[in-house]
Amino acid sequence: MSTATLEKPATADAARKPKVILCEGNEAAALGVALARPDMVAVYPITPQSSLVEHVAKLIADGRMDADIVDAEGEHSVLSVLQGGALAGARTYTATCGPGLAFMFEPYFRTTGMRLPIVMSIVTRDGITPQCVWGGHQDAMTVREVGWVQIYCESVQEVLDTTVMAFRIAEDHDVMLPVNICLDGNYLSYGTSRVELPDQADVDAFMGPKDVNWHVALDPLRPMAVDPLTGGSGGKGPSTFVRYRKSQCRGMQNALSVITKVHEEWAQRIGRSYAPLVEEYRLDDADFAIMTLGSMTGAAKDAVDEAREAGKKVGLIKIKTFSPFPIDALLQAFRKIRALGVVDRSVGFRWNCGPMYQETMGVLYRLGRQLPSMSFIGGLAGADLTIPHFHRVIEETEALLTGPMPSEPVWLNEKD
Amino acid sequence: MVRAFNTIAFDAAKCDGCGDCMVACAQAKTGTDDIARSRIQIVGREKDFELALCRQCADPKCVTVCPAGALGKDGETGVIGWDASKCVDCLLCTVGCAYAGIALDEVSGHVSKCDTCDGNPACVPACPHGALKYITTANIYNEVGDWEDLFAPGLAGCQGCNTELLMRHTLRRVGPDTVLATPPGCVPGMGSVGFNGTTGTKVPVFHPLLTNTAAMLAGIKRQYKRVGREINALAIAGDGGASDVGFQSLSGAAERGEQMLFMVVDNEGYMNTGMQRSSCTPYGAWTSTTPVGAGCSAGMPSQGKTQDAKNLPLIMVNHRCAYVATASTAYMEDLYEKLDKALLASKTGFAYLHVYSPCTTGWRFPTHQNMEVARKAVETNFVMLWEFTPQKGLRFTKPVDDPLPVTEYLKVMGRFRHLSEDQITHIQGKVVENAKFVQRFSEQAHGG
Repeated sequence: MSTATLEKPATADAARKPKVILCEGNEAAALGVALARPDMVAVYPITPQSSLVEHVAKLIADGRMDADIVDAEGEHSVLSVLQGGALAGARTYTATCGPGLAFMFEPYFRTTGMRLPIVMSIVTRDGITPQCVWGGHQDAMTVREVGWVQIYCESVQEVLDTTVMAFRIAEDHDVMLPVNICLDGNYLSYGTSRVELPDQADVDAFMGPKDVNWHVALDPLRPMAVDPLTGGSGGKGPSTFVRYRKSQCRGMQNALSVITKVHEEWAQRIGRSYAPLVEEYRLDDADFAIMTLGSMTGAAKDAVDEAREAGKKVGLIKIKTFSPFPIDALLQAFRKIRALGVVDRSVGFRWNCGPMYQETMGVLYRLGRQLPSMSFIGGLAGADLTIPHFHRVIEETEALLTGPMPSEPVWLNEKD
Repeated sequence: MVRAFNTIAFDAAKCDGCGDCMVACAQAKTGTDDIARSRIQIVGREKDFELALCRQCADPKCVTVCPAGALGKDGETGVIGWDASKCVDCLLCTVGCAYAGIALDEVSGHVSKCDTCDGNPACVPACPHGALKYITTANIYNEVGDWEDLFAPGLAGCQGCNTELLMRHTLRRVGPDTVLATPPGCVPGMGSVGFNGTTGTKVPVFHPLLTNTAAMLAGIKRQYKRVGREINALAIAGDGGASDVGFQSLSGAAERGEQMLFMVVDNEGYMNTGMQRSSCTPYGAWTSTTPVGAGCSAGMPSQGKTQDAKNLPLIMVNHRCAYVATASTAYMEDLYEKLDKALLASKTGFAYLHVYSPCTTGWRFPTHQNMEVARKAVETNFVMLWEFTPQKGLRFTKPVDDPLPVTEYLKVMGRFRHLSEDQITHIQGKVVENAKFVQRFSEQAHGG
């Protein structure tokens, strides 16, 4: 049960020393979950997510987290158990990736339509075939049109902080949608770094009261039929359906401002801030920019710094919130530049480019002028995206300022 | 409420027309051996005897037509009494009765009829063949008839479907503090979760996916348990969703001992979607995906399903559930006892109730014969009624010592009408084999 105490002072105690620990991203996620005080966690192991649910199980076993843990027999049931829990009023959490996410797809699709504020980490993984247990965004990208809010993290600290924030975003009455926190398999899941652990009382004050099934419930005290059949060729059925869908889209759009608001409050209470939707890095006086997602951004920023020292006027745009796609924030960034290179860690098969690039092209249409752009695909199957890779990205993007736009993506890690 | 009462039941197959019952009645009521004055009359010669006796009707026509108010139904006993002081001897009642249950006694000059000898009818013990029984009817009706029907009126089941009956009885018993899961199939097809904003149920109800019923219910039950609220988690699922695509979540929930009552309504196929085969469909049965073909392909004629049914309840026994039972809509008192036990077991563990429910549409039999078909399945050992607990093992609740040949069951419906002799032999063999298998279970599967 949440024991949120709204009476606590609204600002973090500046004098309080944060507890500093060393941990991997999967443990940071588990610690974030514990801070958010869910009622129910359902788990099933899958590489590279497994240590995350192991940490959750240990936290519960050690009495450091008061949640019901369900060791379900597969991801399909994992999410189904949580749907039941949420409909009965529980704050709920799980994590998965790759084949597990694929197996979960049926209830995954349904979670958004039922507007259940379930939080789920995707410890992103490439594959399924060619067989691969390594990192890559292919799993999360494949389900990007299903209606979950999807937020990508750059660092282990951001994984912890964003995991807590995800519950607030999901449960906001203007959103009421499930949230994926995407953390890169291998690079964030196992990457170990210094992490500051927020104070539980501060997090409790941040979280506020829990209210997850005010809109749809399975409760004998307020009986209702959940999800009756609807639709049909005309009349009330399809009209009901359309209103459901519009409401869902509205919730998704509302998430843009709610994510921003929640990040601001986190900064205020906990003292750490992140660009909630889109981060602009050295962009204000840039001629061109590269665009990144997730943990690759660190190496990309280093490359940008080095390129700047070499006199190239390059900046960086990082997407944190991928769904809803932050159109306005991106337009604002794109207005500052004259060429754009987009680096994806997954493949968009239909357009022969990265999925993030594909989404970006839709935004570019609204810019009012042509912005030369190109797609890079790298970091597949766990491949390391290094500073030299990003120098290549910077050079090829810079060439767009004077040369033609390539119609093919540039594949990194194939020969370098 | 409307009540049902005791009555004298007659089994024509056991009657040889000896007339002892009539003698006993005449002696008890007139002090003579004049069987013409007996209020029970056995009619017929040699064989095919019929009964002429007052049925103590719930809606008695004799009472309705009596112009003098001389006939009336007793609200306590249900017996239709005759008041000599009011009778005008018009005999209209004898015309009104369809059962020849009230007739003129020529000696007395008045009508006479059975009064059940105040609940101890003389005729019943007089029968040397057990053809007469004084039975208590409709115990269930009398006991639970007052309880609230928690489904809306007018569910859209097929004509003659007894799944609706099963649903109403079940929810009546389980009560309002329930969350009901009705995965895709006939149950929501009838409207349990409703259409376009209406609902068919007065308790919280939902469609799980066909695949995740047990998992969703587990989440619901766990959360209420966590906050200290007692609710019943009830699933009414079809055999397809339970035995095929939903089996993983069912098995997982049973293995974890999730606290719920999972009822499977086994109509042996995907009847709601158009009568396709499930793994509970029996060997040889026609379904829309195991059709009876006109010709042969690769030398094999297509003659219905080519595999035997999966025995899902026995598989659940091997999960060591808190309670597992099979039941039939033809044996409602047995079903009710099991429902009570299953409900109790679901407070602490996983309870599984497998109800055999014939499908008039998909099995191709006349809509009024559902109970007969269900009964024949039991009488031939095609299905067996038993219950299991880890403590007491498996026990038959309706043992059939001398089963009818399986053809008695197969012939009452159209889905088996194409069967060859070989196929029938196969089915009879499997019935015997299955009976032995479950019998061995009942002897050995004790102790948890």
